[in-house]
Amino acid sequence: MRRKLAINRLRERADLGPELVAQFVERYRSPIIEGQNATFLFLGHADEVFVRHRVVGLPDPLPMKRIGETDLWAATCDLPAGSRVEYQLETRRGDHYERFNDPLNERVAHSPMGSSSVCAGEGYHVPSWAVPDPETRPGDLIEHRMRSKALRREQQMLIYTPARFNPVLRYPLLIVHDGPEYVQFSAMKTVLDNLIHRLDIAPMIVAFVPPHDRLREYANNAPHARFLARELLPMLEEAYPLVESPLGRCLMGASFGGVASVTTGVRYPGVFGSMLIQSASLAFTDIGQDHGGGPAFDPVVKFVNRYRAKPTRFTERLYMSCGIYEPLITPNRSMVSVFREVGITVKYEENRDGHNWDNWRDRLQSGLSWLYPGPQKYVYE
Amino acid sequence: MRTILLGPQRFTVRVTGALRSLETEGPVAVINAGWEEREDDIGELDAALDNRARNLRLFHRLADVLEKDPGFALQASRFRDRHDELTNVYRVRLQHAMGGVYAVQRLVPSHPSRARNSAAYRALADAVAGIRAIDTWYLAEVRRLYGELEVDGGVNSSDVIAWHRAEVRAAQNDCVAWILPGGNIRTLMSSLRLFDVTIPHAVSVIAWSAGAMALTERIALFHDHGPEGSQETELFDAGLGRVHGVVAFPHARRRLRMDDPERLGMLALRFEPAECVLLDDGAVLDFGATGTIPLNARRVGADGLIRAGDDA
Repeated sequence: MRRKLAINRLRERADLGPELVAQFVERYRSPIIEGQNATFLFLGHADEVFVRHRVVGLPDPLPMKRIGETDLWAATCDLPAGSRVEYQLETRRGDHYERFNDPLNERVAHSPMGSSSVCAGEGYHVPSWAVPDPETRPGDLIEHRMRSKALRREQQMLIYTPARFNPVLRYPLLIVHDGPEYVQFSAMKTVLDNLIHRLDIAPMIVAFVPPHDRLREYANNAPHARFLARELLPMLEEAYPLVESPLGRCLMGASFGGVASVTTGVRYPGVFGSMLIQSASLAFTDIGQDHGGGPAFDPVVKFVNRYRAKPTRFTERLYMSCGIYEPLITPNRSMVSVFREVGITVKYEENRDGHNWDNWRDRLQSGLSWLYPGPQKYVYE
Repeated sequence: MRTILLGPQRFTVRVTGALRSLETEGPVAVINAGWEEREDDIGELDAALDNRARNLRLFHRLADVLEKDPGFALQASRFRDRHDELTNVYRVRLQHAMGGVYAVQRLVPSHPSRARNSAAYRALADAVAGIRAIDTWYLAEVRRLYGELEVDGGVNSSDVIAWHRAEVRAAQNDCVAWILPGGNIRTLMSSLRLFDVTIPHAVSVIAWSAGAMALTERIALFHDHGPEGSQETELFDAGLGRVHGVVAFPHARRRLRMDDPERLGMLALRFEPAECVLLDDGAVLDFGATGTIPLNARRVGADGLIRAGDDA
């Protein structure tokens, strides 16, 4: 017989009161993961309490219920194994709403929009290659600035060179949209260092490029594409020993950064033979113009609709990933067959996560090792 | 003279016993270029060899040639680009062709008597022949690329290379046995080729992992559990050919999907008449002086089952 959830066992206790609640909270903290269920807790005075999240399929806001006459509030939802969800709590006291991270949960994820609490389901683990390893020889990350005619401004960036960089050798190139965010929120330097050290991926040169006006530059913007293909790439080819073939040049990005990668590829076909896009905001409409994404999505939808009507083979290999709890899962799934039909070799992966930097971090090993495999296949110790 | 292939030596050291079994005295030549930057760290290995190791330092010699002969370095870099391009095309051809083979394999009826009379069964042999043709084409292309490098890179006219070749010959001249440990097979083969290393037939050899692969006629790369996911086993290069009729699979338990007999069986069919020999921890395969595959060798059968002894 299945054991009752901890919160239900508490609810049925005859001696339910502040002392018992305090013991319960101290013992379990929040959220309580029991099999495929997650129970969120909040302890405090409020008129209403909600779990706020962006998980497609679960109600948002998810109302919490008060446990008896105590100050403990709880809500239970499904959480399949391997899931990872970011959330916050929201309280209403009279007309006053307040949103904050779960005070009973120490696990927090950061993003440019702030931080969120993390609920990790059974079986989810932060990959070992995503945390610093003292055995790993670190690569270098240097700041670089260049004048861009296309963008009419000075563009700064971070450039990564791998440990034991040797100018006699040639390296594949990776250009990363939202570059500094990938370094800060997806631990990408640590990931590169570790994966190269483990022979999972080839040593590579990586340009982490930040946007200036992100929603405009990344939404099918000609100057941005010209900057990448006609200014940044030649500069990097001049400065570093890079693999000459298009396959050795990869554009990468998440969300709108994914759109920027694809639109640049379409504007300059054959220049970037590899591409890595994560939760790309490739929204489209099958009929009409009502896409529901707001004005920022207008040029994206226009581009994707046009591309779907007349798709082209803009790259040779494309790694795509998307979290199944994010609204973009349907457009991403739909685009896989479109890309494959024009002869692009696509590796597509889904995981139980949302639109966030930890999700994108967790897929880096899979994507990078597929595009630029390390020498593991050659090493037999 | 004997040739002994061992399993990986990291956890189960068999090389000391193997070397003593040769009943020789004197220095043993060590080629551990596959260790790359760690080539000189042979203290532990030397101890296992009763302090008889003489390191031929092929990786350091390779680095020295690249530094001192810019003409060769340029051509070596071009060779690498061309080889990478060739490997990419080979993988594409292989992947699509293997997809066809597996599709036909799935159509073969499971009942043996029905299978033999089926069109799919006959088609399977033809499909596997297609894979062999791709493998043969690839190895011919690799040979052609090496030929180009030899001419364009001035391999036989370079003073630096000639100097190192002479040194290597002198260094191994009085060695009573050769040791080829594991490491990066790509680096190991590049070094062996550049310095034109041929192991004298009269001298015994002990090798493991990448070293064992280098002694065979065809070197196959494999890793079913790599981070990029399972990919087809692919040929890399022709080896030194000291051991005949064997394709070596070191670390088989760690690197092959041993629970997939259909996939393993396909490996055996593809490399026939050569035997797919597994070299796991603790393995000691003594090919003797005749080069006959020893009975204790664990081999993959066409049915995907692993056998050793008379059953193989």
